[in-house]
Amino acid sequence: MNTSPAHPAADRILQSARQLRERLSGDLHEQVVEAIYADAARLAGRSVASPGQGALPTWERAVDRFVTSRIWGFPIMLALFTLMFWLTISGANVPSGLLSDLFIGRIYPVLSEGAIRLGTPWWLKGVVVDGMYLATAWVVSVMLPPMAIFFPLFTLLEDLGYLPRVAFNLDLPFKKAGAHGKQAMSTMMGFGCNAAGVIATRIIDSPRERLIAILTNNFALCNGRWPTQFLMATLFVGSLVPAHLAGLASAGAVTAVAALGVLITFAVAWGLSRTVLKGQVSTFSLELPPYRPPQIWRTLYTSLIDRTLFVLWRAVVFALPAGAVIWISANLSVGGTSLAEHLIGWLDPVGVVLGLNGVILLAYIVAIPANEIVIPTVLMLTVLSARLSGVGEGAGVMFELESPASLKQVLETGGWTALTGINLMLFSLLHNPCSTTIYTIYKETGSVKWTAVATLLPVVLGFLITFLVALCWRGW
Amino acid sequence: MNGMADGLVIAGGMVLLALLCWPRHGLVGRWLAARRLARRVRREDAIKHILKREVNGAEATVDGLAGHLQMPTRQVLGLLEDLEHRGLISFEGGRLHLRSAGRDLALHLIRAHRLWESYLSEETGVAEVQWHRQAERKEHLLTPQEADALAARLGHPTLDPHGDVIPAPGQPVPGDVGLPLNAADVNQPLRITHVEDEPPAVYAQLTAQGIRPGMRGLLIEKLPHRLRFWVDGNEHVLAPLVAHNISVETITDCAPQDLLDEEYLSGLDQGQRGKVLGLSPACRGPERRRLLDLGFVPGTEVFAEMKSPGGDPTAYRVRGALIALRKEQAGLVRISSLRPATP
Amino acid sequence: MNPSLASTPPRQACAECDVYRAAQLKKLGVNVETWDFVVALAGNPNTGKSTVFNALTGLRQHTGNWPGKTVARAEGGFEYRDQRYKLVDLPGTYSLLSTSLDEQIARDFLLFGRPDVCVVVADATRLERNLNLALQVLEITDRAVLCLNLIDEAGRRGITVDDRQLSRDLGVPVVPCAARQGQGLPELLAAVAEVADGRRLCRPHRLSQEPPALQSALRELVAQIESTYPDLPNARWVALRLLGGDEHVAQALRSGELAELYTRTQPPAASK
Ligand SMILES: Nc1nc2c(ncn2[C@@H]2O[C@H](COP(=O)(O)OP(=O)(O)OP(=O)(O)O)[C@@H](O)[C@H]2O)c(=O)[nH]1
Ligand SMILES: [Mg+2]
Repeated sequence: MNTSPAHPAADRILQSARQLRERLSGDLHEQVVEAIYADAARLAGRSVASPGQGALPTWERAVDRFVTSRIWGFPIMLALFTLMFWLTISGANVPSGLLSDLFIGRIYPVLSEGAIRLGTPWWLKGVVVDGMYLATAWVVSVMLPPMAIFFPLFTLLEDLGYLPRVAFNLDLPFKKAGAHGKQAMSTMMGFGCNAAGVIATRIIDSPRERLIAILTNNFALCNGRWPTQFLMATLFVGSLVPAHLAGLASAGAVTAVAALGVLITFAVAWGLSRTVLKGQVSTFSLELPPYRPPQIWRTLYTSLIDRTLFVLWRAVVFALPAGAVIWISANLSVGGTSLAEHLIGWLDPVGVVLGLNGVILLAYIVAIPANEIVIPTVLMLTVLSARLSGVGEGAGVMFELESPASLKQVLETGGWTALTGINLMLFSLLHNPCSTTIYTIYKETGSVKWTAVATLLPVVLGFLITFLVALCWRGW
Repeated sequence: MNGMADGLVIAGGMVLLALLCWPRHGLVGRWLAARRLARRVRREDAIKHILKREVNGAEATVDGLAGHLQMPTRQVLGLLEDLEHRGLISFEGGRLHLRSAGRDLALHLIRAHRLWESYLSEETGVAEVQWHRQAERKEHLLTPQEADALAARLGHPTLDPHGDVIPAPGQPVPGDVGLPLNAADVNQPLRITHVEDEPPAVYAQLTAQGIRPGMRGLLIEKLPHRLRFWVDGNEHVLAPLVAHNISVETITDCAPQDLLDEEYLSGLDQGQRGKVLGLSPACRGPERRRLLDLGFVPGTEVFAEMKSPGGDPTAYRVRGALIALRKEQAGLVRISSLRPATP
Repeated sequence: MNPSLASTPPRQACAECDVYRAAQLKKLGVNVETWDFVVALAGNPNTGKSTVFNALTGLRQHTGNWPGKTVARAEGGFEYRDQRYKLVDLPGTYSLLSTSLDEQIARDFLLFGRPDVCVVVADATRLERNLNLALQVLEITDRAVLCLNLIDEAGRRGITVDDRQLSRDLGVPVVPCAARQGQGLPELLAAVAEVADGRRLCRPHRLSQEPPALQSALRELVAQIESTYPDLPNARWVALRLLGGDEHVAQALRSGELAELYTRTQPPAASK
């Protein structure tokens, strides 16, 4: 080592430290920690008085036994998540309808007419009102209500102290897959945002297991993808069952997709730790905090401000240019057909094989910067490609929508079936992470190779699984 | 027509030539480098063998060396000549002696080997049976500076995972202490001082059984064809050949019954209480420090509060906090169980 | 010992009074280009560090009821009695002695980040295990304040902590708080200010229970360190880390950084 000659005294000290160290027998760390704890116990004994031995309330123990019990542990987990999705789906329907009625049914015609009356050139009106405004309006009405319900619910669960119990329950499967139990925590953070989930993997202190957690974080549905799930489940799964069960069935479908994400996480972790990321399973220690009553109002407020509006803002920022691009591509003719139609035409064969369609694939290409704009793009492009008459106003213009039923009608006219809906849910689970997440993965791993793996692996899996589902659905 | 074919042949030949003879990265270059390394490895292995014999009070012989290196005696003689020529050993009248340059080199090799094993055991997920093999290669590639940096990074460990002393730079390496397990008396408390990592098959077996240096135990029964060895709360049946790879020393600070009564946290059933006695020597590095920091220090009371649905991990109440540990880790915490507290 | 002293009125009346608070504390959010003092928030995971941070800076660091919510350093500022403070929220740590990766950020900042005051946020319901870290921090620095957080929860469980006794024993101010409700924060601020500008001198508790062999080794090394660096306030800690083979500390000693780090007696005014 380069010892600078300027500090010979320091070298002497280091030298004697080394000699003393060799003379000491036993584990120094152990002796020191023991000494500290002895002191701590003495000091605490002098100042802490706990007549009841500070014992936990018995209800807390009972709850803990219950949520981690052999029989009830997993059902409770699934039930809680399904309940959350059900509340979100059934609560978001009405406000979503109201918002789109307001933005698209009322404000949009006013803007449109205003622009015409002011004598705005048609292309300018097209780009701004029919492209940017409508895309944004769509994003807001599709995303705001479910997010405003889902985030606070999830935060309440987090503040209550339930999430570490989930990690506790899931550690055994994670261990069997060669991964770390704390990965459950980063996965759940990924339910909010995958970029945040990737950063949350820092709690895993073994490099190998941390890398596994980073590579599989994208299998946790994030805020940009929940709305797709909720909408598709409502439209296509809810309608498969009697009306009074529709809400529950759609919530169940969303739970199933989220659970599938977790299963794929196990499978991929298992595969990775037996091939490229071989190694022994490292240790696991997790502190389970006491349950704490959440401050409900403050939680509602902060998760609305911090998470919902933050996410919405991001979505709007990406929706503005995307709306413009979509409008332009729909109105730019090449050889008689618009650019968008060309693209959709090319992608359609692939899409159909996967049980999707060209519109969806194009939407996912447009949505690489942010998943949030998938649904608006899909809707805009569907109208265009199906050349719907009576709905919407022209190429690349988004249309009116008062109820889920009419939305479904639009999609069905565009050739959608239940298979398309279900495969869109699957593909929304299994495709490349958004640009922010990819960048975060690069920053956290510092490796182009692993970033590429994290980006491409889900797409490949997505193609594979949608293809297989389509194959089965169509009876080979 | 012909000209073109000639041109192709010439170009091809040149490419081939370049492939073969490109300095350092050409095939020839690579082959030469590999051969040089193989020779160096053989020289260094010989030196190490001589030192190991020396510190254990024996003298290295040409035949022993030939056996160790698995080389014909004739070649060994050539090798020794080379070593002598390089000023590493003296070889006179059939007796092998290390010169100081040779001793330094051998010490560095041993240090690098043991440091690398410590590194593998503490900071990587490499399986235990691989440590020795990988360290056997790596010891020849590490420079003394790199070894020092590695030691610093690991917090200057003094013992490797096999219980052997890691010599500080310039310090002599002590000989193996203890006697083979076969030589120990029945019912006498023992501490394992060393687990020999050659041959790999035997070592793998001992590793799989969880037998590590530093553990305490005793021989329950000694028969010509097998030994029953009680160590760290488990009984192992060992063939004498296998037992020979375990070195032990006798200890006096505990009675045989204490050892037989030892329990581990993993054995604590839900709702039971225990008191921590210490951590097993098999728990090393960051893992050990983390458990200590979490409060698993001797004298601490622990209570097995709940098991996860799969039965593993278990959450323990330790100094007021609820800490979940996997079975493997709980198996590293020695405890004595306490009667259930009065309600 | 009179535990009823612990978290009862006279001081707390102030906490409720907005005038008192408004006049003294100005939350600066992320606007901290200049500051008079740097204050670090250390503590075990999940003790409410980020909650304290949010309450003082007005920022919205994410909080959550599980250990490991914060994984990166966060900075914010506040102004108190015309002094500007930079507050640094750190990930939770169980110990400063280990080398684990997830605790590295906090460890490095506490050892080498030169905070003027270190606020140790401890969980009042499990003081004993929280003192493990607090005692280690006190070995490093003599400018510390113990924030006895979650005192409301302790109250619910029937645990009382005699903060005066604890303060006498530890040699640093001890302030019972319930950060989520904003209780005790004015007192915390006052204590931090007093320690920061040197009006209150701490005489931190030093460890004493090490085994004899370790103690004699420590004495030997401390003597040597003190004769070379007479101004080092925590020679014992440095000796302990050197014996433990902490390469970070050894490197700091070699490069002279360590001597520089701790010989500063005056807090830097409006440093950048
Ligand atoms: N009842 C009560 N709860 C509190 C108090 N302070 C914090 N909490 C809660 O305790 C939990 C942990 O708070 P955080 O501020 O995230 O803790 P932290 O120390 O930053 O945790 P890490 O970042 O994981 O180290 C949150 O759910 C808070 O709402 C308090 O004074 N009283
Ligand atoms: Mg925090």
